[in-house]
Amino acid sequence: MPKNEKLHNFTNTAGKILEPFAIGLLALLFIIPTLTVINLSPITKKLQELNVLGVNTQDEVSFTLVEGTHEIFKNETLSRIEEDNYTYSCDLNKRTADNYSKPILEIANNSTDIKDIQLYGQTLVPTNSNIFLIVNEKSYKIQNEKGFTSPLKIEVFPGEKQIVFLSIESLSGIQFNEKFNMDIKVIETLE
Amino acid sequence: MSNLLRRALKISITPAILMIAGKFLGLLIINIIYDFNFQIDNDLQGIFSVQLYYTDQTTTLFANSISNLIMILTIALPLVYFVAKTLFYQKALNNPRTIVKMTKLNVNKWITKDDSSFLKIFIWSCFLWLSSMVTISHSIQGITYEYIAIIAVILTILTTWGAVKTFESETDKIYPRDKKYI
Repeated sequence: MPKNEKLHNFTNTAGKILEPFAIGLLALLFIIPTLTVINLSPITKKLQELNVLGVNTQDEVSFTLVEGTHEIFKNETLSRIEEDNYTYSCDLNKRTADNYSKPILEIANNSTDIKDIQLYGQTLVPTNSNIFLIVNEKSYKIQNEKGFTSPLKIEVFPGEKQIVFLSIESLSGIQFNEKFNMDIKVIETLE
Repeated sequence: MSNLLRRALKISITPAILMIAGKFLGLLIINIIYDFNFQIDNDLQGIFSVQLYYTDQTTTLFANSISNLIMILTIALPLVYFVAKTLFYQKALNNPRTIVKMTKLNVNKWITKDDSSFLKIFIWSCFLWLSSMVTISHSIQGITYEYIAIIAVILTILTTWGAVKTFESETDKIYPRDKKYI
């Protein structure tokens, strides 16, 4: 058989084998942009699910637990310990190595002064994960993969509302659930 | 692999990219111009893990509406151009007056090369239908202004009519009507 004919036969056979895949690819070219556009559409769902737990409009600074469902962050609670002291806790489910984040708190300054808030969070046992708090689109590491923690101080301006996100960067798969606790304190400022 | 399939794949890539780019750039432009405070969350319940959201419903409605409009226009404007070009090309074949008018308007390029096939117009129309369906469903859900959905419907009807006319002219080449041979 001449070389050209062999090549022609091979191209024909390869074309026939590839045809079903090409049809699938063509379908994907229609499906993927549609799903991406649907996913890119913004929502307000999370903020519609604001829980009233912890809200007290008479306080100068109010803390609201942002609920909503998430596969990693479960059983969120916000408890008031003292007048200006709260505790936030949640369960961090087992997970694969990846980044996860969720809005957890809404802090509102109802006073006419700038308020400093201290957030100090940690897991009960050190895990191979970096834990961050995201405030005003800036990320702050509060616990590193070895378990070393550092407090975060944020300023909330009069009348301002800030959403605090809890973010976890797991460097490897975590096969057990763990508890995360965070103390929230309004720091007294001397004037 | 058939030539039709190969051409369909080649043609589909551009509108697919433009559809995503139109939506993304629409959101980006709105956020830059109005300095909206948007948040990104990775809620794992959807098909994709990343979800964009705003602090209030009015902002969501505005940003989603304008980004949908930009997406629709990104697909519709080139499609209108393809349809117009094909229709003028077909008209110029039958009517010398059209050639004179096109020459006066300095758009001779439109009638000298027939590179907008029915397949191209049909695929672009499909993407416009998909974009319109997304916009209409958003409008029904109350996250897009109604007039954006109306604009999408009008553009879709017009371009579909154009696609049908192109199909007619393509079939006329094979089965000429009224004993008229091109």
